[in-house]
Amino acid sequence: MNGDLVKLLDGNTFVVSEANGDIDASPTTPTGLFSFDTRFLSKWRLYIDGERLTALSIDDIEYFEVRFFLVPYVPTPDIDARFSVIRTRSIGNGFSERLTVVNHERQTVDLQIRVEIGSDFADLFEIKDVRNKKGTYSRLIENGDLRLGYERKAFRRQTLITTSKPARVDEGGLTYDIHIGPHEEWVTELQVKTLGVDGLPLRESLQGRPLPVNPQMRQNLERWLGEAPRLTSDSKSLTMTYRKSLVDLAALRFTPLTASGRALPAAGLPWFMAAFGRDSIFTSLQALPFTPELADTTLRLLATIQGAVLDDFRDEEPGKILHELRYGETSGFEEQPHSAYYGAADATSLYVVLLDEYERWTGDAALVRLLERHARDALHWIDEYGDIAGDGYVWYRRRNEQTGLENQCWKDSWDSISFRDGRLPGPLRATCELQGYAYDAKLRGARLAREFWNDPAYAERLEREATELKTRFNRDFWVEDGEYYALALDGDGNQVDALTSNMGHLLWSGILEPSRAKKVAEHLLGPRLFSGWGVRTMATGEGRYNPIGYHVGTVWPFDNSFIAWGLRRYGFADEAAMIAEGILDAAQYFQGRLPEAFGGYDREQTRYPVEYPTACSPQAWSTGTPLLLLRTMLGMEPRRDHLVTRPAVPLSIGRLELLHIPGRWGRANAFGRGRLDLRKQKELRQHQIMSPVGGSELSLSSAS
Amino acid sequence: MSDRAEQFFGEIGQHGCERLLEEATGTMRFELEHENGIEYWFLSISNANVEVSRDKRDADTVLHLNRTLFDRMTVGEANLYTAWVRNELRIQGDVRLARLFQRVLPGPRGSRHPRTLAPARRRQA
Repeated sequence: MNGDLVKLLDGNTFVVSEANGDIDASPTTPTGLFSFDTRFLSKWRLYIDGERLTALSIDDIEYFEVRFFLVPYVPTPDIDARFSVIRTRSIGNGFSERLTVVNHERQTVDLQIRVEIGSDFADLFEIKDVRNKKGTYSRLIENGDLRLGYERKAFRRQTLITTSKPARVDEGGLTYDIHIGPHEEWVTELQVKTLGVDGLPLRESLQGRPLPVNPQMRQNLERWLGEAPRLTSDSKSLTMTYRKSLVDLAALRFTPLTASGRALPAAGLPWFMAAFGRDSIFTSLQALPFTPELADTTLRLLATIQGAVLDDFRDEEPGKILHELRYGETSGFEEQPHSAYYGAADATSLYVVLLDEYERWTGDAALVRLLERHARDALHWIDEYGDIAGDGYVWYRRRNEQTGLENQCWKDSWDSISFRDGRLPGPLRATCELQGYAYDAKLRGARLAREFWNDPAYAERLEREATELKTRFNRDFWVEDGEYYALALDGDGNQVDALTSNMGHLLWSGILEPSRAKKVAEHLLGPRLFSGWGVRTMATGEGRYNPIGYHVGTVWPFDNSFIAWGLRRYGFADEAAMIAEGILDAAQYFQGRLPEAFGGYDREQTRYPVEYPTACSPQAWSTGTPLLLLRTMLGMEPRRDHLVTRPAVPLSIGRLELLHIPGRWGRANAFGRGRLDLRKQKELRQHQIMSPVGGSELSLSSAS
Repeated sequence: MSDRAEQFFGEIGQHGCERLLEEATGTMRFELEHENGIEYWFLSISNANVEVSRDKRDADTVLHLNRTLFDRMTVGEANLYTAWVRNELRIQGDVRLARLFQRVLPGPRGSRHPRTLAPARRRQA
């Protein structure tokens, strides 16, 4: 999305405005105040004496607070502004704005201040084209307040605007006629409340009871940062990126109504401030060594909403982990299926992967026992409902033909899965990474069954199935003439053979024959897939390759973080470090905040990473990317009650110390020093791919 | 009194519901509104067992909705979650328990097993 927009964020309540603080929503500029997937303000414009204001500077204090310094438009630079305006805006318990007008003159000034206010109450799914709303609007002036309303049958949403200084209120906004003495200032506080049925705060109206008072957001953030591991590094940009990631992750935390007050990561601003199975799981995995509580909440919440019945509209099956859950009008009236929508063929396997990885880090056996039934249901889903074709693979095909997703893997746009020549396969598809996740889920499920569920027979069965899957997979997905793994199989069993980043995830899951891993690493770091910043989603030269195609050529930071993890798993420490270096270099250009995706242009060609036009930012799994890259560079792995590290750090990063890493060992530290001169190795790479390197020798961490 | 509600609660009172999970433990009160007043159902849920009574007692979660809407839910014609988002169902108290209770309700009629969408293929390997 447009980088000039200013965003404030508190879970699934957020404000997006122009640089001067104004909100004036249009199909191309999706500004507004949003809460629970509904826009509560689509117009919020400030005028002084009929003129709009210009931003001098913006002080982005925290993710929940921002200050705009504004002046009237002046035609030439030698005329000083007569007055200036400071807009201090914050969210958390509603939206509030303090308006301060400062008179710079030696005499009293008379000004007319006008705030134009309106709301279209658009559902997030209709933002780009708000038309034909089926409900009715209302505007009410009462006791000096302005109340905007929208209703459709029993569905009610209201925006209540109050002001501390009296104003003339009309249906379109507030007007103040003020006098300000010489060098004096005038202040008013505006409050905007987002309300539901009976005029209650929206969250309260859905839960039907008053809510516990939120802890102060600032203290909350300080505690969050205080509990996270501390990073010191020679690389200033890395420490900046790390801090930015932690803060953004705090901002993206969101407390669904069914989570009993616990927070999990929402997927991304502005389109995806909701619970997503896949995104929440991947982000929780990335953040495990840093903030393991996110995984805890994610596992519990996804269990609560685990699929229970067959439902074609929602692509739901028993045991399936949800894709997306929404609270807006289109979900409520079943015009969109997100109530919850289950069109994801990977989230269910990944759920088991996260549960096991969570226990390995935290030693929280109680949660593994509590969620046994859910994990078994998820494992059962893989064979009973995931294996649509009945041949031992995980497939997908939507049953909701109108509003369901054609592609139910992480690359979920319609054209992401194609043959080399660009043809699209039929609707029944089995992408390669789904098989890797299922393999990993079975092996990890086996460990849980043996160690925690007291069911060795089940463990043996899962291990046998995993072995069979691996054999079958390495036979059917290997593209002989190109020496890589096919992107997918189609319903006739043909290899969908475009060269893509998907096979990088196979390294992470461990389903690859070790003898073929080197070839895969060569492709991933080769010129067709590796842009210099990271691995492209699709290789150059493929029929559908487009450097700014959403899933067909852009570089996704999150994708790269899992590929790097996979490379380390198979011993390719240098290659993993090369990806880490590229992505972290790119982060510098975004002030430490990696977007969802950036262009697949060659690094040599553009010199800076080109942001994908409508990328979400911050986005949870991009925010989690630097965390997982730190894990892979330091080679951190839990081994019984110890944290083991095997650092493989690029020379450009220099010294790396991560202190106070939480886990089953209490707190531990990890150290690394840049030794890998990747530039030199890149030159070598022109001639040959290096053999796997184990990194420096294994070192046990010291508990602190 | 609603025949469907009586049949539905009678069924889960007698047989429990294996789809209910261990963490779904607590009490629920249903307030089913109809033209002549409100019909109350009280559920005490523990370990997939459900005790059902007609008492108007305090509960962890109270669900208030139109009886016709509830009847439709019991046969898979209406969805509990979307009714809540539309404000046709009001929940007081523990929303999580209400969400877990949704597992007891049947899915839409005529929904298909995914395998019905696949060509017949023999299991390999």
